[in-house]
Amino acid sequence: MSSAATTPPSVDKVDGFSRKSVRKAKQKRSQSSSQFRSQGKPIELTPLPLLKDVPAPEQPELFLKKLQQCCTVFDFMDTLSDLKMKEYKRSTLNELVDYVTVSRGYLTEQAYPEVVKMVSYNIFRTLPPTDSNEFDPEEDEPTLEASWPHLQLVYEFFIRFLESQEFQPSIAKKYIDQKFVLQLLELFDSEDPRERDYLKTVLHRIYGKFLGLRAFIRKQINNIFLRFVYETEHFNGVAELLEILGSIINGFALPLKAEHKQFLVKVLIPLHTVRSLSLFHAQLAYCIVQFLEKDPALTEPVIRGLLKFWPKTCSQKEVMYLGELEEILDVIEPTQFVKIQEPLFKQISRCVSSPHFQVAERALYYWNNEYIMSLIEENSSVILPIMFASLYRISKEHWNPAIVALVYNVLKAFMEMNSTLFDELTATYKSDRQREKKKEKEREELWKKLEDLELKKGLRRDGIIPT
Amino acid sequence: METVKLMRELIANFEQERNYLPKETGLSLIESTGENDSRGISAKCRDTKVEDLWSLTSFFGYSTQTFVLAVNLLDRFLAMMKVQPKHLACISISCLHIAAKAVEEERNVSSTNELIRISQCKFTVSDLTRMEKIISEKLNFQLKTITALTFLHLYHGIARSHTADRKEALNLDTLEAQLKACLCRIAFSKAKPSVLALSLLTQEIEATQCVDMLEIAHHVQRHLKIADVELLHWRGLVAKCMSDYSSPECSRPNNKKLVWIVSRRTAQNLHTSHCSVPELPTIPEDCWDESESEDSCEDMSSGEESLSSSLGSDADGPYFPLNFLCQRYRNKYHHTS
Repeated sequence: MSSAATTPPSVDKVDGFSRKSVRKAKQKRSQSSSQFRSQGKPIELTPLPLLKDVPAPEQPELFLKKLQQCCTVFDFMDTLSDLKMKEYKRSTLNELVDYVTVSRGYLTEQAYPEVVKMVSYNIFRTLPPTDSNEFDPEEDEPTLEASWPHLQLVYEFFIRFLESQEFQPSIAKKYIDQKFVLQLLELFDSEDPRERDYLKTVLHRIYGKFLGLRAFIRKQINNIFLRFVYETEHFNGVAELLEILGSIINGFALPLKAEHKQFLVKVLIPLHTVRSLSLFHAQLAYCIVQFLEKDPALTEPVIRGLLKFWPKTCSQKEVMYLGELEEILDVIEPTQFVKIQEPLFKQISRCVSSPHFQVAERALYYWNNEYIMSLIEENSSVILPIMFASLYRISKEHWNPAIVALVYNVLKAFMEMNSTLFDELTATYKSDRQREKKKEKEREELWKKLEDLELKKGLRRDGIIPT
Repeated sequence: METVKLMRELIANFEQERNYLPKETGLSLIESTGENDSRGISAKCRDTKVEDLWSLTSFFGYSTQTFVLAVNLLDRFLAMMKVQPKHLACISISCLHIAAKAVEEERNVSSTNELIRISQCKFTVSDLTRMEKIISEKLNFQLKTITALTFLHLYHGIARSHTADRKEALNLDTLEAQLKACLCRIAFSKAKPSVLALSLLTQEIEATQCVDMLEIAHHVQRHLKIADVELLHWRGLVAKCMSDYSSPECSRPNNKKLVWIVSRRTAQNLHTSHCSVPELPTIPEDCWDESESEDSCEDMSSGEESLSSSLGSDADGPYFPLNFLCQRYRNKYHHTS
């Protein structure tokens, strides 16, 4: 049970200004589970012979018996209990893993329900609650699963089973059904990254082999993401699910179904708004780019979506968005580029003027990208006027000298691209500035005149200068 | 009368201008030098450097006069001294700095440090200071020169005073920009400033079709006794330069020369984003895959059966190629917990 005193929720930890010194040393959180009711009596399993020591016709039955034995679950929180039996189960599981990998003719129809039962008993459990206020996924060590010695082998076994040459989805689908998948998905919230990694592989294989479950899986993932974005902002397995989705998106048939496009716009884009974006941004960006490679017509809604959700107070996120945007621009088609160039470069112009030097630097670095440069060149008459004012201004005003040097590179590139337009804009900018200065001067003089008037009036009236 | 005063100034400048012309033989030598000749400066070398000077002028907010003066100093120096290409950067920046100090207000002149940093040059501040001294000495400290810009302003003033009602018939900014474009080519350094300026003026007059301005231009030409032949020659060259300058074709920017220095954090960021290689193999979507929603398995059974048999449960199916499986076996089996 967690005994840590509650600390006030930290404000915007993701902004790079987290006050680490303020947080106290993390206490080791003890895992507890209602799964293990103390029995009092130790668990006894009668040791079975090794599969290799038994003649081939007897092996399938022995296999089933071993599976049944492995349904017994041990409490790893209590490090001293049932050590001998734990070791026995571990070595049995190990044996089963090998057996499934190399053997042939062992998979009878009776084996399927036993396998699924054994796996279910071991892995399906209620995950312990997390201290969501204190746990920072980026910095703190995750709490690892205590029963990993057994759990890992169960996952290993299940994956080999699914990948086995003898595996038949038509039989398995009776046991690996929607209920099973639903429980599997809930496990993605585990804090242990090793477990999530295995789950990722398991779900990937299931999605591949069971066509009847695909729609269901997609729908459930949708639900998880939507709940994550709009209700809880807590789920540990987003990155893994996105990785699976990446491989699914990659395999989409053309033309894309409406359902998939909906998913992109209603789920993937809003996923960018979450505070913990850095944990799964790489996978999310990959999914987005895959979508655009499949159907370039989606470019406009995607970029408009990103611009709509552009971070306003979180610079770390802005840098991520800029990275993703560059990846999108790397694959964009010139016709699509023309459609979104105006709002896009308006935003880039703002980023370039950002006082946060990393944001400015990342945005300016776009000009080092050959493909982007070629696109800008083709459309310089539209883009240059948008960028010009902020570039010119920051060349004079930015506090960071490295940024000023980068701005020179960009201005020089523009100058060489389209000298006439550049000169026009320079001249307009200069004359605008002069006009502003003139107005300022006039305003000051007007105030002075008014002051003098006031003084004169005061003097005339009673000869005393008002204070 | 305004015009009379301007005309008088015009004559005075006209008489002085030849003192500030770069030596013609020197310029010809540059024009004839090959690009890869390491013993001397070629025309292309000089032109590129002058373009860089223009970028810097623009960046630091210096006036066109600074730029024109800098180019004049540069050309005069290059025409009289044999210079190695590796020193050209230092020379040109020195000229710019000298010009800035002569023309701009003191607070607007950027420091030598900043100048060197932005132009990404390899020499030091002391190099720059020494070079400035050398240049100033060689040019006999004649640092306030009469250039084509001087004449352009005079012509523009004269034209304006003649047509009181049409104030901005000729845009001075446009003319200055065109002059800048011309100065980026060494060929125009041979022209007399008065003639070059007049060529630009008449070119622009023709382009904007201000007929009464033409009268004034002729008047000026006669006053200064500029020969028609000379004027026509330079006008031809100017016309060609203008058509290149305003062509919609963009010259490909030479990004390779510029150095992009980014901070360590950004560099790390850039590196990791390109390293995300997906581990999971693609799962192709099949056409009979899903007439979706929460289908009961029975509908799918026939399709599935045929699918699974065609995939075989042989690992040679499209989803999990055999070599991938073996690799996974090797990787995961040695996974430590």
